[in-house]
Parts: sequence; structure tokens; C-alpha cells
Amino acid sequence: MSRRIRITSGRIYDPANGVADAVRDLLIADGCIVADAPPSAHETRIDAAGAVVMAGGIDLHSHIAGGKVNLARLLMSEDRAAFPEPEGAFCGCGGGRAAPTTHETGCRYSQMGYTAVFEPAVVGANARHAHLEMADIPNIDTGGFLVLGNDDFLLRLIAEGEGQQAVNDYVAWMLKATQCCAVKIVNPGGISAFKFNARALDLDEAGPFYGLTPRRILTTLQRAVTELGVPHPIHLHGCNLGVPGNVATTLATIGATEGFPLHLTHVQFHAYGIEGDRRFSSGAAEIAAAVNASPHISVDVGQIMFGQTVTASADLMSQYRNHRLASPNKWIGMDIECDAACGVVPFQYRDQSFVNALQWAIGLELFLLIEDPWRVYLTTDHPNGGPFTSYPHLIRLLMDKDFRDHHLGRIHPAARAHTRLSEIRREYTLEEIAVVTRAAPARTLGLKDRGHLGPGARADVVLYADQADREAMFAAPRLVLKDGAEVVRDGAITALARGRTYAVHAAYDGAMDRRLDQWFDAAIGLKAKHFRIADGEIRGGEGPELVELQP
Amino acid sequence: MSAEAVHRDVLCPFCGLGCDDLEVAVSGRAVRAVRACGDAARLLERSGEPPPPCRVDGRPAPFEAAVAAAAGLLASRRAIAIAGLGADMEGLGRLYDLAMTAGASLDHAASGGLFANLDRLARKGWVAATLAEVRNRCDLLVVLGPDPSAAFARFFERALPAPALAAGDAAAPMFVDRTVRRRVCVLGGPLSAGGRRALAPHDVAEVPLDAAALPAVAAALATALKGGDLAGAGLPPEIAATVSELAGVLAKSRYAVFAWDAARLPAADAARVAEAAAEAVAALSRTTRAAVFPLGGRDNVVGAHQLALWRFGWPLRTAVGPGGARHAPDLYETRAALADADLLLFASALRPDAPPAFARGPVIALGHAQTVFPREPDVFIPVGTPGVDHAGHVFRMDQVVCLPLAALRPAALPSLAEAAGAILAALEARP
Repeated sequence: MSRRIRITSGRIYDPANGVADAVRDLLIADGCIVADAPPSAHETRIDAAGAVVMAGGIDLHSHIAGGKVNLARLLMSEDRAAFPEPEGAFCGCGGGRAAPTTHETGCRYSQMGYTAVFEPAVVGANARHAHLEMADIPNIDTGGFLVLGNDDFLLRLIAEGEGQQAVNDYVAWMLKATQCCAVKIVNPGGISAFKFNARALDLDEAGPFYGLTPRRILTTLQRAVTELGVPHPIHLHGCNLGVPGNVATTLATIGATEGFPLHLTHVQFHAYGIEGDRRFSSGAAEIAAAVNASPHISVDVGQIMFGQTVTASADLMSQYRNHRLASPNKWIGMDIECDAACGVVPFQYRDQSFVNALQWAIGLELFLLIEDPWRVYLTTDHPNGGPFTSYPHLIRLLMDKDFRDHHLGRIHPAARAHTRLSEIRREYTLEEIAVVTRAAPARTLGLKDRGHLGPGARADVVLYADQADREAMFAAPRLVLKDGAEVVRDGAITALARGRTYAVHAAYDGAMDRRLDQWFDAAIGLKAKHFRIADGEIRGGEGPELVELQP
Repeated sequence: MSAEAVHRDVLCPFCGLGCDDLEVAVSGRAVRAVRACGDAARLLERSGEPPPPCRVDGRPAPFEAAVAAAAGLLASRRAIAIAGLGADMEGLGRLYDLAMTAGASLDHAASGGLFANLDRLARKGWVAATLAEVRNRCDLLVVLGPDPSAAFARFFERALPAPALAAGDAAAPMFVDRTVRRRVCVLGGPLSAGGRRALAPHDVAEVPLDAAALPAVAAALATALKGGDLAGAGLPPEIAATVSELAGVLAKSRYAVFAWDAARLPAADAARVAEAAAEAVAALSRTTRAAVFPLGGRDNVVGAHQLALWRFGWPLRTAVGPGGARHAPDLYETRAALADADLLLFASALRPDAPPAFARGPVIALGHAQTVFPREPDVFIPVGTPGVDHAGHVFRMDQVVCLPLAALRPAALPSLAEAAGAILAALEARP
């Protein structure tokens, strides 16, 4: 048994347990938080007087591993050269900011106090690669969301009217085979449609070949994850990403949910109107109103941040549309294995571009107009809206109106005239930051031992020195513990820890094994048994950590 | 004599096509392919002989002594080149760890074609397809250069299987009109008898070309697809006419695929062919769909490339060490690196390839048991073969699919991962 650790006199922010700014001790034993007990001489004491104490940060949408990230690394050579990992004992010979290497990813996240990050777009055919990369990321726990909704086996099942149970069996089979912990839909039916040369697909438009509407695919998969008891609802990258006027699609999508819970990801990219002389306007107020009125809807924002980044998405239909904007001028697309696709397009968001500046404002409007922080998660859709290393800056934009107004004063003047951001007084509190960066993502992912500081929680604990400059405060925590062991002190890495990988295993009818054996043989040209990832392949033999089903 | 056991659905790690339906008979330590292409059968074949011992300075040595000798050599050298890299992901992972600690450059023996393609891919990008997309969607395959069957015996069979079942069945090709034969156009060739046999169900056109003419013809095809004039292309009139006609057919195709094996073309030509194929796809994509399918991937070179990217942020031909990483493809290509190196660490777990010639310093070989060395290495540690002696992972040539190899017989040798890991531990334990 490891030595007990007592963190004394910290200001605890633990919204999952209703605790906000309460000064008290936190006791850790064997990598977990335990109920407070009388002090003992055999404890390690960590003085947290004056420090803000939170659970480890959780990012539920960040593209950190897998084929499209590696293609992004290949394209982003200037970014890699400009940002090498700092030399020293914890250098992994990597680097990069928009498309960082695995070691760099783990180190930079843990330096900000994050201890779990979820790769939100694992394509089944590429899942083994994504897991190999995740195993190489130190200091953070990971998990993958499986991309479904354009896979030919599923589209065929739905089109042939095989019924919900067959879909459920298939989804459960695929989750286990790919060792993922949630289901993501990227442009439902749209990626498949682009393979048949369709260039757009709206929510109620029948796609080519299968004749299915995105709405039908969405509701079928929503029902599947609900009935299987997968904790996180469908994680939806909707139709018409980035297209002016797509606010109507997004509102219709919220209306299409038939009461099933739904998570709308990087909703900023789906909140564009066509008002005004430039035919591009903010739909944030309408989206926020709809989210406020719909308790079964959650979002992450996908805030854009000015500067160089790279966009990497399974949505090749949208990426093909956007590739003419590539900066630097290069891009990669790929149709993948009757499963999905990917498109990787380098991009620079400029504050003097009307469109980019308004995108920036739209993201902030969404953060500030959606009232319930439990249904908003802090993301930049790394790297698509900006690198995750910009989170401390984003936190300050949310917490500090003067700072926000200062930056608003620097963007393209026409964009400033098109946003009501300056009228919004709201400033996020520390408690709300703890919700959107920890408690809420843990809750929606079904991670009962994460995102809070109650007894039984993993001892991922972060101490921040309370500073008026919230960007400085969240960029360099005083101390980060991963499973009770120090990994960061004063913003610098002090140790490397191995993370774990979360997966969801749901039961399915064994007949699905035989059907997929046949499908893989005849259609794909690969044995299903070689597609399936065994538990022992995860994290060098450690196996996945299973998330409990919530039937 | 122990009974022979036949393993079915065996995965093949060698050429990069990732066939996973091989049948292999194992009897004691002897291995014999029952169903496999010629290359795979040869590379899977094992006699029942016990494996050779490690050698130091040509003399048999225990594993621990060979490991210590290797660590000692690595510790005393300043310009280490790690080459070969024919290995599974696990072996590569430990080799890269070793490179980071000892300081070394990294290149794969089969990276030539990859780098010719990167000249286009990393600079400008392209639109590619994976194998199952080609199987199910490709209605016109354009082969640029020699017959792919020579290096990838089952490529045509895997990429363009004959439609075996009625339309509507869940079998490849699902998305092409089965009442019309798929078209294949070979610019270059010639097709081998085996290639022609595999393509028999399809409508095949062979356009014989002088090998030297291929880049110009490929470029002319891209020009024609962009609506350009071929008058200035300097092609013989009958070739220009063929190219124009092919461009017309391509424009009407629904999903054309361009395949070439960069490793079998001169490097400069390969880069031009990759460029032309990518440009042809870009031009076609304005009105229809198309993709490139670059052939390659021998001995998990794709995995070595992927691992270098996610670890270091650079492709192969990168030097890593305590000071970070430096990517300089001209300096760290194996031959160039060996011109400056003072030690060669050669790793080849998948086939019995000898190290490249090197006389500037010691050679450490972590190699296939059957390797015949023209020059006895200073340290030889025979290692098992992933997919024969132990489990492991390798990437398929299309860069997306990573495959799980399984052991066919009990290991009598350490894996490359174990050997490299032991050397790393010995190196780190040195005072």
C-alpha cells in the first residue's frame, strides 16, 4: 500500500459533489480519493493553502491519435519545426502545436492540468492504429469514439429494413471490435454520399444508393446507443458543417431527436446564418435558445482561435468543399474501407478576416448564451478550431469581460458590428470552469470515478495558484497528480505516467459474429477476426478499462 | 516427428498487401505454406532446425553477452545509423527507443518508393482510397508502370475480384455496375501471364511504353484531364491519341483509381508519376470521383513511417537523440547515412536480408535466423519473425489498416522488441 497523501487547506471546487470554494483537506490513498480521516504521522502532506483545487481536466473532443492526425503531422512540417519539444529529461524527440506528436500531446495536456482526453473520431478500419498511438501518449487517460453512420454494413441494414435489434447488435459488435467508448456520427450519410459524387446532403434529403436520409440514420443510431446503455449519447457532427445558413439544419436536428439525448459537437461550425450584406451571420442566439429549451441536448463549442492550425475530419464531403481555402496550400483526402473517410486541410484563422472573426465571436456567444454549464463542454475541436494549448486563453476570454472586450476590439470591424458579444455581461466563475472542463464531460461519458473529488474518485488532482490573470493560472498549475502521483509541478513535467484506455462492451446476439464474418470476407476482403481488436492489444497488454453500461 | 497442424486465415506481413487467408502447415518447428503466393511461401518456409546462437566477433555467445557487446559498441560511437527496420510495430517501438537514447538516424530498407511518393504527398497532398474502396467502387483502374503482380502477386485478385454473386449481394464489387466489365488500362507493363490471368474477368487495355516515357505520358494524361493541349507534350502522335482517348474514358468513369509502384521506378520518375496521378485525380474530382492507390509497403515500411510521424513528427530519414530530432532526408537516407556513420545497427526480422555494405565501423545485426552475411557482423543476435515466431502488428500498404500477426510455433528466439529492449536496458545501466 502506497503512502497516504493529504492535501491541506486548498480551496476545493468540486461541482459534481456540490462543493464550491470550500477550504478543507483532501485525502488520497492507493491512487484514489478517500473519505477524510484524522491526520496520521504516516502521511505525505501537500500544502495547498491559497490554491484552487480541482479534479483533473477532461477533454471530450480532441483529435489526438490515428491516421488523420498522422496525415496532419505529415503536412504540418513548418508547425513541427517551429515548436520542438523542450529539451531535457522529459523530451520525447517530438513536437508540433497544431498536430503534436504523441509524447508532446500527453505532456502539454498534463501541464495544463488535464488528465483524460478523448479522440472523437476513430474510424473502425483505423482503430488499431489509433489505439497504438493512444498507448504512446503519457500522463493522460484516453478513449475513442467510433465513427458510424456512413459505414456500408449499417446503411445496408437500415435500408433493407432489418430492424432496430440488428442495428443494436451491430453497434455493440463494432464497439467491442474497435474498443471504443462512445459512438460518433460524422455528417450522417454524407461521407458515403460523397463517395457516390454527391456534394451535399441535407437532413431530410435521401442519399444516393441506399436512399436513406441523415435524419433516419441519426435516429436509428440514437435509439441503438440508448437501448444498449452506452452512457454518452450520440456524438453528432451534423450535416452542412461550415455552410452559411446551416443554423436551420442544426435547429432541425435538435428537433429531430425524438426525445433521445443528443450531443452536438463543435456546434460553432454549425451555427451560421445568412443575414446581412455578407450573407454570413451568427446563429448563436437561436442555437442557444434551442439548447436552453431542450434539456436532452448537450454541446461542445469547437471555439476557433486565431493563428495557424490544421483541420482534420472524417467529413471528406466538407473538407473537399473547404480545400480551396487551405493554408499552406496542400491537403489530403481519403476514402476509407467502406467505413468512412478523412480530409486534412491546413488552415489559418485570421482576426482580420470577416468570416474568421465572426466565427470566433459565434463560439464565445454560444459559451455565454447557453445557460446550463453542465451541457456545454470546453473544446476547440483540437486542432480544427485551434490547438488545445490555447485553452488557458479561452478560459480567460470566458472569465474576464474586460479581456474579452479588448480582444473583440481587435477583430475585423464588420464582424464586430455583426456580433452582440459586447452586450453579454456574463463571466464564467471558477465553479463553472470546473463544470465545463471536468465535471460535465465525466458525467456525460459515464465516468463515475472521474471529474470529481469525492471518495472513490481517481486521485487526478490539480492545484492552481489563484491569479487574476486566469490565462496564466490555467496554463501552469502548481501541482498535478495523476492517480495520486505527481506528474507536473509549477507548470513543468516532473514524471511520466502510463494512462489507461476506456471502452464500452455491450452484449450482442452471436448471430452478428457470423454475419460479419461473411461481410468482411465477401465485401471487405479482410477477415472479421483480424479487424477485431483483442483486449490484450490495448495499452501493451493492459487491456481496456470498461465503462459501465447505463441501461 | 510431431503431427502437422494446419493454421488457417494466417496473416502475411511481407509485401504490404496484408493477405489474411493463408494456410500454413506447422510440424514441430518446421513451417510450410499450403496456400500462399510464391514470395510468402518462400518467406514462411522453415526447416525444423534449431535456431543459430548469437555471435560476437563470429563466435557463438550467450544472448546476454551479445546484448552487452552491442550496448558497449553503441555507447562508444557517435554517428549511429539504424537501417533495415523490417519489423513489427513492437520491434520498431523498441528500436526507436534505443535510437532516442543512443542517438541515431533511422531509415527503412524499402523507403525509396515511399519517399518518391512523399515528394507529392507531403508537399501538396492527394486523394487516396483504401483497398476495400478499390474493391467495391473502382470502375477503371489505371496502372502506371510495370505489372504490380511481380511484387504484389495477389494485387489484382484483391483489388478487382471477379463478381461472384448476383447484384444486390453483400460482396465486392458492391457499387459498380455488374452488367459491365470493369476496365483496366496499363500504361507501361507488360502484364505477366499471372497478371493477365487475374484480370481475365475485366476489360483490359495494355499500352506498352518505353520505361523512360512513362513520366511524360502520365503528365500528359493529367494535362488532358485538366483540359490542356497535348501538342506541346512531345509525345508520338499515336501515344498522344491514346492518352486523349483515355482521358475521355476517365472523365466518364465514376471512380477511377491510379496505381503505381514507386519502388520499381527510378526515383525521379517515381516522383513525377506520383505527381501526375495526384493531379489527374484532382482534375477528375471536379466532376466525378477518383483516387490514387500507391503500391508499396514491403516489410512494414508503412508502420515504420507511421511510428516515426507520431513519435517524432517527421517521416523516416530522421536522426533522433538527446538533442531532439532532425529530419534531413538527403543526409539520413541509408546509403548517405552510412557514408558518415561509425556504427551500423541493422534490423531485419521479416526476411533474411544482409546488411548493406559498411566498412567505417562495427555492425550490429538483429536479424533473421537464416541471414547469410557477406561480412560477419561484430554482433549478431538472431531474432524471431513476427507472424511466425511471435505476435505483432504491421500496417497494410494503404496506411489505414493495421493487422494483428499471431505466432505459428513456439518462439525459440527473442523477438526484435525483446532484443532491442535488452540492449536499451544494458545501455541505460552503463555507468
